Amino acid sequence: MASLLTLQDVRVTLGGTAIGPVTVRVEPGERIAILGPSGAGKSTLLRLIARELRPSAGLLHFDGRPLATWSSSDLARRRAVLPQQHGVAFGLPVELVVALGRVARQGDGHQDRIVREALAHAQAEHLHGRRFDTLSGGEQARVQLARVFAQAWDARDGLLLVDEPVAALDPGLSVSLMAAMSDFAAARGHALVAVLHDLNLALNHFDRLWLLKAGRMLADCDALPSTLPLLEQLYDTRLRLLADDHGLAILPLLGHLTGARA
Amino acid sequence: MSTVGSALPSPVAVAPARRAWSRPVLLALTLVLAVLAAVQFGAVPISAADWLNGPWSDAPKTGGAHVLWQLRLPRLGLTLAVGAALGLAGALSQALFRNPMAEPSLLGVTSGAAAAVALTLTVFAGLHAALPAEVRLWLLPLVGFCGALAVCFALDRLSRWLAPGSIAALLLCGLALQAMTFAIVGLCSFIANDEQLRAINFWTLGSLAGANWIMAAVMGGALLVLGALALRVAPRLNALALGAAAAAHVGIDVERLRWQCIGMVALLSALAVAWCGSIGFIGLMAPHLARQLVGADQRRVLPNAMLAGALLLVVADSFARTLAVPAEIPVGVFSALIGAPWFLVLLRGAVRRMGSA
Repeated sequence: MASLLTLQDVRVTLGGTAIGPVTVRVEPGERIAILGPSGAGKSTLLRLIARELRPSAGLLHFDGRPLATWSSSDLARRRAVLPQQHGVAFGLPVELVVALGRVARQGDGHQDRIVREALAHAQAEHLHGRRFDTLSGGEQARVQLARVFAQAWDARDGLLLVDEPVAALDPGLSVSLMAAMSDFAAARGHALVAVLHDLNLALNHFDRLWLLKAGRMLADCDALPSTLPLLEQLYDTRLRLLADDHGLAILPLLGHLTGARA
Repeated sequence: MSTVGSALPSPVAVAPARRAWSRPVLLALTLVLAVLAAVQFGAVPISAADWLNGPWSDAPKTGGAHVLWQLRLPRLGLTLAVGAALGLAGALSQALFRNPMAEPSLLGVTSGAAAAVALTLTVFAGLHAALPAEVRLWLLPLVGFCGALAVCFALDRLSRWLAPGSIAALLLCGLALQAMTFAIVGLCSFIANDEQLRAINFWTLGSLAGANWIMAAVMGGALLVLGALALRVAPRLNALALGAAAAAHVGIDVERLRWQCIGMVALLSALAVAWCGSIGFIGLMAPHLARQLVGADQRRVLPNAMLAGALLLVVADSFARTLAVPAEIPVGVFSALIGAPWFLVLLRGAVRRMGSA
């Protein structure tokens, strides 16, 4: 099967940070976590894939066609994006924010039903009828996630791009929403690419890891316990792996990798 | 529309469906009352006989009938159309700039049109005078449109380049552009003769006194077309509230939408300025009133901002006409006296919500 997304020797410069050259691919239905220290260029890479930024060099293809040649509305039917910052101007009602995920579709008869189901799937159905600007950070994050669900609700074999989707949520919600995202993508054949800081979520919910350090791809590997040395190198921090029947957990230890063993 | 989670009624809940229609209807009824009052009150009393002595009657139009059919009604028609246009232009520029404080006159768009008009009246006076009268009526809206478009374009680029998303940066850019356009108007006043000076004064202060039926009809027609266009882009304007990047992600051609908005704002401002001069703050107050009444959904804000704009201008113009009878206060003076304090109150709220400007 052809790859859903391919990047070949792609470079991009934003502000002072230069990314690349990056050569990676996303297969249909695959779940990929982008990991790396702060400032490594994770969000920049995601925005590049989301077509917010244009590559300064290299080839970027989505479903066999150069990404730049897709029309906005065609692309919106195949890929949805959850940005890191989610301010909404004016006091739009929650259900309208979610419905905006479907604004590019003409004559969308199922919109009200999909908006409700998307809200429920993001554990935000109780926010229906509220004004978005009166919600807490964690509530806003869930409504924006519902918007992404609504956009990709009836698509197949698409792509979800999410930037720190659960950063503002408590541990219980972040695990259950990560699982909801994973189920949602799996049921529809969507690939999922997420920028994450939480190593435990990355190891337990994703198939592959892109390890990004100082704008370079350190490794593109399977999300397995054996990646621990690479992760230590990535964050320059000693890590301990704990495992039981429920999954894996990584515990960061105090002190830098280099010289810590002295 | 039934509500999910009704066990938790929220004090900030959006107006339920039952109220969805009652408020716009109330607004429309208030407008009708204001219109009736505006027709009746003025320097010359209007009798029932004057109403019957309309265009269909052969009786000579004297006194009240003349005032009613040749002065007051066309003026009222123009006032309604211009007020609605200013309200719509304000709502569109607020959606475009994602900023509840945006307004064509505050941002220098209106004065950009005024500057272009002033240049035409003085520096290019020879050219202007050489044109036949029926062309001259259209020349001013046209050059005004060019001036408004230039300021709108500069503002869009400047504010995104300097500090995207900042209320203060946008207003400061507008201030700078406004200072520039005022300088042009000042220069034109300096070189103008007495007659040209009076014309320029008329434009900078804003007045509806020159109204006739042609202006009212053209303005009304333009408003119908632009209002229909604006309602068509309203769902996409909602997406713009997510920010330019997220709007593109949900499938909006943001650049195209921006241009449509800029074109409509410039056209509406130019039409209003060319025949009535610059009337400020209606475009700020009307959309705000609309949001208070029907919530932030642009599909409902746009039509209600038009109603509110018409209402505000009819009321302001009625006072301008009648307070100092037989003299007349320029309506622009009036709207600024009410609008500027309102602006400060809104600014306080906006800055509080954002944490900072």
